[in-house]
Amino acid sequence: MPLMTNFIVIFSLLLALAATSFAGESCTVCHVSVRLSGVHKGVPCLGCHISESATVANPGASAYGAIGCKACHKGHERIFDHAMAKRSGEKQFVSRSYAKVDAAFWEKNCTGCHLQSCTDCHGSGHNILKPLAVDCQRCHKGYFVGWDYAGRAPREDNNRYQRGAEIEGERFLKMLPDVHFSKGMECSACHSMQSLASGEKSSQKCRGCHKPDLKIVEHGIKAHMERLECYACHAAWGAQEYGTFYLRFRDGASKEDFDLKGEKNGEYLRSAYLKSQDAPMLGLNSRGKVSPIRPMFIAYYTDILTAKSGGDENRLLGAEWRTYMPHTIQRGTIACEGCHDSPRRFLLEAESARIFLPKKDGMVLESFWQQQGQKVVNGSFMPLDRYRKMNERTMAKKRAETKKWQNLLKNVETSSKP
Amino acid sequence: MSEIFSDILRTNSRNRACLAAALFFCALTIIVQGCVKSGSGEKCLNCHSRIEHSSKSHSGCVSCHGGNAESSDKAAAHAGMRGKGNPSAPSGWENSCGSCHRYQLERVKSNIMQTNAGMIRNIRLTWEGGEAGDYAASGQKTFKPDGTNLKYQPVAELDNLSGELYRKFCSRCHIGTENSDSWSATHASGCAACHYPWNDDATYSGSDKAIRGKAGYSATHIMEPLPSTPVCSRCHNRSGRIGYSYQGLYDGNNALVPTAKGEPGPVMGSGARSLVHIQPDVHAAAGMECIDCHTSRDVMGDGYSYRNMFLQTEIACEDCHGSGDRLPQYREVSRENDDALRESRRYQRPVTFGMKMIQTSKGRSYSNVYVDGSSIRLQGKRSGRIHTVKVITGSPAHTIAGHGRLECYACHSRTVVQCYGCHTAYDRGVPGRDFIKGVDTPGAFSETEDYRMLYPFPLALNQRGRISPVTPGCQTFVTVKESDGSISKDEYVAHFKGKQQLRFAPFYSHNTGTRAVGCRECHSNPAFLGFGQNIIEKNSIKGTLICEKSDKKPLDGYLTMENGRVRAFSAITRENSRPLSGSEIKRTLSVNLCLPCHEKGDDPIYQKRLNYRALDDKLHRNL
Repeated sequence: MPLMTNFIVIFSLLLALAATSFAGESCTVCHVSVRLSGVHKGVPCLGCHISESATVANPGASAYGAIGCKACHKGHERIFDHAMAKRSGEKQFVSRSYAKVDAAFWEKNCTGCHLQSCTDCHGSGHNILKPLAVDCQRCHKGYFVGWDYAGRAPREDNNRYQRGAEIEGERFLKMLPDVHFSKGMECSACHSMQSLASGEKSSQKCRGCHKPDLKIVEHGIKAHMERLECYACHAAWGAQEYGTFYLRFRDGASKEDFDLKGEKNGEYLRSAYLKSQDAPMLGLNSRGKVSPIRPMFIAYYTDILTAKSGGDENRLLGAEWRTYMPHTIQRGTIACEGCHDSPRRFLLEAESARIFLPKKDGMVLESFWQQQGQKVVNGSFMPLDRYRKMNERTMAKKRAETKKWQNLLKNVETSSKP
Repeated sequence: MSEIFSDILRTNSRNRACLAAALFFCALTIIVQGCVKSGSGEKCLNCHSRIEHSSKSHSGCVSCHGGNAESSDKAAAHAGMRGKGNPSAPSGWENSCGSCHRYQLERVKSNIMQTNAGMIRNIRLTWEGGEAGDYAASGQKTFKPDGTNLKYQPVAELDNLSGELYRKFCSRCHIGTENSDSWSATHASGCAACHYPWNDDATYSGSDKAIRGKAGYSATHIMEPLPSTPVCSRCHNRSGRIGYSYQGLYDGNNALVPTAKGEPGPVMGSGARSLVHIQPDVHAAAGMECIDCHTSRDVMGDGYSYRNMFLQTEIACEDCHGSGDRLPQYREVSRENDDALRESRRYQRPVTFGMKMIQTSKGRSYSNVYVDGSSIRLQGKRSGRIHTVKVITGSPAHTIAGHGRLECYACHSRTVVQCYGCHTAYDRGVPGRDFIKGVDTPGAFSETEDYRMLYPFPLALNQRGRISPVTPGCQTFVTVKESDGSISKDEYVAHFKGKQQLRFAPFYSHNTGTRAVGCRECHSNPAFLGFGQNIIEKNSIKGTLICEKSDKKPLDGYLTMENGRVRAFSAITRENSRPLSGSEIKRTLSVNLCLPCHEKGDDPIYQKRLNYRALDDKLHRNL
């Protein structure tokens, strides 16, 4: 992104003065080839670039306080005070994890997605556009929410799995897209500029558009309506990464032993112990409601050079989860038993049901689906007694479950043959 | 003779008995003549002074190795040796191992690990490899299970893509072909493939200074009469990966982490695959090895040549544990030529007359499982450890109406390895090693894949009409690049059973647990029925992981349900196998109407076919 900004600055310096001149402007005397398109087609050069004597090369740059844009788009420059530009959440995570082992970790690995200019999202300088989902997904990709909206999940990091469709150089697994995406809705339908500028996550909540039909069995259960986020059930899947490893290389030679995707020149390679993208795990968010959660991150670190000389490796720097909203919404949900009979989804997996043994491989944690040794940074795990309570076999619950299956089964054709 | 082979005669044709008789005579003749013992006075030990003794019964060098023991000159002494250091390789086994162990050699020669007929046949079926003729790793004459003649054509002559795939990929795990250059998948050819174990880098590390450090030799010169699990796992770690799953290893996503002393880890397998630890099979956890279940006829064959592994295998869970309605069967050892007596000679407690030996599914005796009072015991063949076998016959959880159709491992698999989306590219412009012909020829294979899973796992009908776990077998998408660089096949799905479709194969993952998949878990999650990871929307079941070639079909399943209509779009390999039908799906899901109240499998209502009308009766209506 810094490279891109530099480019924009230089490019703008050359061209800004050459835009189509309006009355009183002499920019096009030199900048003969600049052509405006997009929503600002009719705007004079100095409408954005301010003045001929003190020309602003990149009027949308946060470095200049988006001076060229905010004159009209009052208050929108406040977007640079919030998460996408400040990235304080990510910075804090790094400072309590990887920064302990490498003070420059952030600069080396995390500066790729940093909002620096209005034009990062709104087209290019002389072709200002309303952002589409694809513009947001330039940063909101991979493990982060955004890709999932279009039905994309990250692939495993080993090059054996780096195949198939790609977008902007990144391969993905094809998943069921969010129903809103399938209907043609862009991110901005729920994330207005106003909401982003004011630091809100969204301008629209589910219930702003949808009124739950209480005749639907699950909606008829009071506890569901009071204690669950809609997307605790309606998020069809969620990308999950169990055990995020950053491997630090001091020389290129040992890097060749690791056939992982990533830059050949960088100091780090990243890999994950396990990725999955089935129904997300569940916890409680800051509102106390049941919400999907995901590891973000169960972070491990190996300095290859140190490890090769017998030192520390696979150091666990944090086992953090976050509540979130997977953008994988569907009308349907997984079956009742997918939550009520599934302690694993609440990180309450019984030892007898354990499959993976990370501790045996030196990864400290007994299991990723056990709450011990892990935490939810913006909420909490489901307490055991509350899980037990929601699993009590009450008559109302038995009735509801039976009804639910009856609804499905009454329409299943028995004649269909494979 | 009819008395000696009474057990075989009882179940098999006259031809079968004749072959067995012939093999027995061969073995007898050789035993009477005696093996040439040439231990003393051999000059081999002048150079190989500290080489390990092979075994108590295998002294001397030239009786196995050939060569000239009288000469002190290296070249003269080595002239005429059988194989480089491995007289048991197929080129020399007739006169080495075969001169004493004729019965075993004849069995191994028609054994599926030697013919690889199953592997080749399955590749042909799924890679449009033609139907005419039977092919094996090498051309040979043998006998079909019905005793009639069988002539195999050599796979070297199978001139199509499926033949290429076998020769350049699959043939690495053929006991007739040595593999000395794949880390940890190393093995000798011939008898030594199992009986002279190699180490991970195929290097001799014994005490003979003349060979120490040289590659292409067994780890030591000590014979292993009873091969250990790691020996089997050198080959059985691909495709179904049962060798790994059994031991509690998973080559999953090949993440290469956590690291091991700064190297990719935590455990490395062949093909630069990283393995993590998962729960091992309950039998492995109890200290049992592969050969504690698998009989010598399972692994070395019984003299007949089977077209598929599952036909050669003679064991089943029910043999020892019983089925819902049938106890394990046994037969008393009453004859001096009983196989169990011979096979158990190396065990800590050899079988004796009068012991009641448990029978395999083919009605032949295990050599290490027997009735002891009111219990069934299993002796570890290598460890000598005695295990008590739990018999489940008659227990309510195992006599559920309808579950008689389930394989034990439909419920008792902890995990089932599933590899989704196998994308195989064949580039005719790049040379690749043909391991059967022993030369490089034009054309090389490479693979990428989409996704791995362990749990949950899909179920379908297997060749026995039983409901069994299935795993992709295979979801192959073939790309062929011609020598001029043009693409003649692009992510091509081959024809199988008459149409272009992907395939799943019935499969026992060898990652067994005592804990079964829960009733509600299996019945309420359509992933177990073949829908893949999913959501339920009214009366449709939608997959969430989607095949690239479609917008609706799940990658990790073979069924869709749209508006109540169930459709299958992939085949289950093997005869008589198929996905569950619409009525079977409905029946399975209907149990969910009872499970909310009748939660446990041993509830009496499940002992007979469920009557859903009961939901309308007075008792239930009031609820």
